[in-house]
Amino acid sequence: MLTILKSGIQACIQDLGREGFRHLGVSQSGVLDPLAAKSANILLNNQQETPVIEITVGLCQFKFEKPTNFAITGADLGAKLSGQQLAVGWRYHANQGDTLTFATSKTGLRAYLAIQNGFSKLSPVMNSYSTDLQAEFGGTNGKPLNDGDVLEYETNTALSSIGAALPEYTDTIRVIVGPHIDIMSKDKQQSLFEQNWGVLPQSNRMGVRLSSKTDFTHNISIASQGVCPGTVQLPPNGDPIVLLNDSQTTGGYPIIGQVIEADLRQFSQLGAGQTCKFLAVDRTQALQAKTQQLQHIAQLEIAVQHHNKKKHD
Amino acid sequence: MTNNKIYILGERALVLEITQGTLSQEQQSKLFALHAWMREQKAFIDIVPAKTTITGYLMHSQDPEYWLDKMQDAWQNIKPESYAPTVHTILTHYGKHFGPDLESVASLTGLSQSQVVELHSQCRYQVKFLGFLPGFAYLGELSSELHLPRLDSPRTHVPKGSVAIAQDLTAVYPSESPGGWRLIGHTDTVLFNHNLDSPSILQPGDVVKFIPSTEGIC
Repeated sequence: MLTILKSGIQACIQDLGREGFRHLGVSQSGVLDPLAAKSANILLNNQQETPVIEITVGLCQFKFEKPTNFAITGADLGAKLSGQQLAVGWRYHANQGDTLTFATSKTGLRAYLAIQNGFSKLSPVMNSYSTDLQAEFGGTNGKPLNDGDVLEYETNTALSSIGAALPEYTDTIRVIVGPHIDIMSKDKQQSLFEQNWGVLPQSNRMGVRLSSKTDFTHNISIASQGVCPGTVQLPPNGDPIVLLNDSQTTGGYPIIGQVIEADLRQFSQLGAGQTCKFLAVDRTQALQAKTQQLQHIAQLEIAVQHHNKKKHD
Repeated sequence: MTNNKIYILGERALVLEITQGTLSQEQQSKLFALHAWMREQKAFIDIVPAKTTITGYLMHSQDPEYWLDKMQDAWQNIKPESYAPTVHTILTHYGKHFGPDLESVASLTGLSQSQVVELHSQCRYQVKFLGFLPGFAYLGELSSELHLPRLDSPRTHVPKGSVAIAQDLTAVYPSESPGGWRLIGHTDTVLFNHNLDSPSILQPGDVVKFIPSTEGIC
C-alpha cells in the first residue's frame, strides 16, 4: 500500500471524470489535465482511464509499503524518490520503504502520480472514481487525501525505464466565441483577444478567475443554462471565469466563449499571478487540435508497447 | 413556427433556446418531450434542461451541424403530449424548527402560517431542471402570493431535507449546504443517494406534491 505521510495543499483521486449525470446537477470532476493522466497510465501499461492522484501545489510525501512501478506527469514539482531527483514523464520503480516527496514550483501547479495497475480498493460512484470535492463522494470517501490515509495496490516487479516527451504547456488558450459575445461592443470583443489576463487567487478546480486592466463590466443577466468545463462566463464585475471540471452544471452569467477541449488542460498549470491570452479559433481548428492530441496518445501507446516487446524478446 | 434559437456552443454542445422569460406549460412539456427524444438518439453524453434552454453534449465532435438540424426538426414536430411525467409526494413538516423562516414568510406576505402552508402544499409543481447541488430540483411555479426574494444574507448551513422557497420557485435541499432560500419546512424523504444506479429521485419534468404532516403547524 501507499501511505500518505503528508497530503500537502491538495491531493485527490481523479480519473477521466463522471459523465451522464449532469441533468441531475452532478459535476464532471476528473483530472484537469487528461493528456498528462493518460500518458502516466500508458507508461505503466495501465488502461488510460485508471484513477491517478492529482497533486496541487505539491509539498506532499508518500511511502511505498510494497515494490511497484509508478509514473509522474504534469508539472515538475521537484519530485524525489528517497532523495533521488525524478524527471517528469518517466516511469520508475519503487522499492518497499521508498519515500516519494514533492516540493513545489513557481511555474507549474499540478502533477499526476499513477501506479502500475492502479489502486486496488477504490469503488466507483456513478461510473467514476473521481473525487467530487463539493458533493463529497467518489475517490476516498469524497474527501481529498489526508495525512495517514493508505491506498492499496498490487506488488509489481521492476519494469525497464522509459520516458515520454509530452506537449509543453503554453499560456495561449484557443477559444471559440460564445453565444452572448454581443453583449459587448465590437471593440471590446476584439480586446478580449488582445489582453493579458491575470489569474486571480480565488481560482480552483471549479473555475479559474481572470482579470485585466480593461473594463468589461456590464449589467446583463441571462436565464440559467447548461454550462460545462471550458465555458467562459462573464459576470457583471467584468472578470471572466473559465469553468473547470468541478463547476456547477447550469449558470446564469453571459457565455462569451468556450475554451477548446484540447487546450483546457493548460488551466491545470495556471496559478494565481500567472497570465494567459485568448486566441479565437473556429470548430475546424478545434477538431484538428483534438485529433492531434489523440494521435499523440496513440503514438505513445505504440511506442510503449514496442519498448515492452523488445525487452521480452 | 416558435421564437427559438438553436446553436452550437464550443465544439459539441447543442443548445435550443426558447427566447422568452418564462415558458408556457405547452412549451415546457415540449421541452421535456425533446429531452426524451434526445435521450433515445444515443448520441449525447449529457443532456441538461434549464429554465428556457436544453443543452445536449454530443459524444463526438465530428458533425455537430447534422445533429443541430435533427434537433431543430425534432423540436418543430414534437408533440407535448408525448411526455408522461412521474408524480412524487413529499411528506413535509412545516414550521417551528422544521421551517425556521415560516413565521417571517407569513409576516412578509401578510398571511397566516397556515395559509402559507396551504398555498405551498395545494399546488402540483414541475421539476423545471436540476442544478446547484446533485439532486437539487428547481420546482415551479410557486403561488404568486408567496413570491419573496432570497435572504439578504445566506445561511452557511442549510440542513439536508429543508423545504425552501425563493422568488417563483420552491425546492428541497438534497444535502446540507450553504443557501439563501427561505426555509419553511423539512422532509425525511431522501432525494439523492450517490450509491444508487438512479441517484436522484427527481428527474427533469417530474411532478412533485408536498403533503403537510400532522406534526407541523397544521
